[in-house]
Amino acid sequence: MLHSLLLPRVRLASLIVTFFVVSVVIFSLMHSVPGGPFDEDKMPLSAETKAKIMAQYGLDKPLVVQYLLYMGSVLKGDFGIPYQSPGETVVDLLARAWPPSFVLGGLGLLVGTPLGILLGIAAALRRNRPVDYIASAVSTLGITIPIYVFSLVLILVFGVWLQWLPTKGWGEDPVAWILPVTAYAVVPLATFARYTRSSFLDALNKPFVTVLLAKGLPYRSILFKHVLKNAAIPMVTIFFPIFIGITTGSIFVEQMFRVPGLGSYFVTSIARRDYPLEMALILLLTLMVGIAYILTDIAYFFLNPRTRVQGGEPK
Amino acid sequence: MNVVVIHSPGFYARRRFFENKASVVSGVFILLLTLAAIIAPLITPASYEEQKYLTDALAFPSETHWFGVDNVGRDLYSRILYGARVSLGIGVVSALFSVLVGVPLGAAAGFFGGVTDWIITRFVEIFSVIPPLLLAILAASLLGGGVLNIILISSLFGWVNVARLVRGQVMAVRSREFVQAARAMGANSQFILRRHLIPNSMSPIIVGFVLAIPQAMLLEASLSFLGVGINPPIPSWGQMIADGLYFMFFYWHLPLFPTLFLALTVLTTSIFGDGLRDAFDPTLKGK
Repeated sequence: MLHSLLLPRVRLASLIVTFFVVSVVIFSLMHSVPGGPFDEDKMPLSAETKAKIMAQYGLDKPLVVQYLLYMGSVLKGDFGIPYQSPGETVVDLLARAWPPSFVLGGLGLLVGTPLGILLGIAAALRRNRPVDYIASAVSTLGITIPIYVFSLVLILVFGVWLQWLPTKGWGEDPVAWILPVTAYAVVPLATFARYTRSSFLDALNKPFVTVLLAKGLPYRSILFKHVLKNAAIPMVTIFFPIFIGITTGSIFVEQMFRVPGLGSYFVTSIARRDYPLEMALILLLTLMVGIAYILTDIAYFFLNPRTRVQGGEPK
Repeated sequence: MNVVVIHSPGFYARRRFFENKASVVSGVFILLLTLAAIIAPLITPASYEEQKYLTDALAFPSETHWFGVDNVGRDLYSRILYGARVSLGIGVVSALFSVLVGVPLGAAAGFFGGVTDWIITRFVEIFSVIPPLLLAILAASLLGGGVLNIILISSLFGWVNVARLVRGQVMAVRSREFVQAARAMGANSQFILRRHLIPNSMSPIIVGFVLAIPQAMLLEASLSFLGVGINPPIPSWGQMIADGLYFMFFYWHLPLFPTLFLALTVLTTSIFGDGLRDAFDPTLKGK
């Protein structure tokens, strides 16, 4: 019982530690590499003006002082001003950029997850039949092939050749969202199809299924009440890798479909040495990944009664 | 009287592997592509950077240019084959590095247990929580791309899987009777590791090696796609896809062929690796 109370707190503490370690490592890594945000290759400035701007942004101070000042203002909710668009604050920019990322990624998750689960169940029930082969082909393709390759195929087929759908994936009209959402949906679809199949098969071969059959329960209710419940437990753990897949995928999908979301700023802000925006994006990401990890852990813990018993899961 | 012929485990593994049509076909494809990449100068009309066909720039696929010509007059078929050198080369070398780092660490963790295991497992855990691609993008854009950096970055993330596979296998073999017998006869740890544990872990090592190849190829392609990977004019499929995007609305062949080759190569290497794993250990099938 002690374990159950302690677990979330230990995780939370380790998240906070990770958060600070990441901030120190990334901050020093970013500043230690030669080059800076106001070099000649990025904007043609005289040495005087450059020095003035550097001083204005505090970039002339020693690194340790810069870090402490930065973290001090971060704790107050001030993430600074993005060098690439000085007319707003980093918080403003993030507030403007998060809706496309969350709407498209979230919809992809909502579309892909049920389809993947259904495909996995169908494959498990019709083992070694056509459905099973299709499911395994779909999941192998979806897991191995990168998301920008799918996006490109979608753009070529539906945007360029058939001209059914717009290739710019964001706008007032939700029709524009169809292609990027489809690209995102591939990740959960493929992953859920594979894991649902294997965990459903595992659960189907457990002795309790035989007992329930012998007891005279209808097969259908065994499948959907008992087998599905048992199969669902290990499936919780794959939410985390899927979350990572969608988050990372957004960098590519947003570039392919020209979506002005968070992912699209990730690469440009590193290339332009936009320290405030880059730090904010990485810290936000660390936080989201950490929270997703903890939530997955907690969900697994509560769904699987075996982890709550002293001695843990029987092998 | 019945004669029962007992074959070696290797015999059954080989038979299981050849029964798996998809992985045999994948193996043949990889073999052909590797061969074509090696003899590329002999079977291509131009080198990867020669702008030999400027007058035919953006030409569609034809008999003379199988995959067409790109916007600056380079033969796409030649660039794709030279791109295979980059992709396969980076995949194999990174996988080798991953094995070189992952096997000793995994074996040490599995064999010594205790504090050693704890420390190595924490490292493995850190690397499995951080999204590798994101950190790789950050590292590549700060340190700069180039073949060597990409290999280093992808090995940095590739060793984890190998270490995990080897650790599990070593732990399982460590408690077997023949190892205890060797220990009872006075063999030291180094001897047991070298003579028993590592040879018995060969199948996860091979599988780990093969499965590290597509991971590294994907990482290279993704970084090059974002413009922080292989530097032009050296051709990389990821970079060719990104360059082709500007032309896709009319000259669709520019992004299409590198996309096809990237997808096919990654797919076949993964299927081949999965086939090997299933052949070595049929209980893992479909996991």
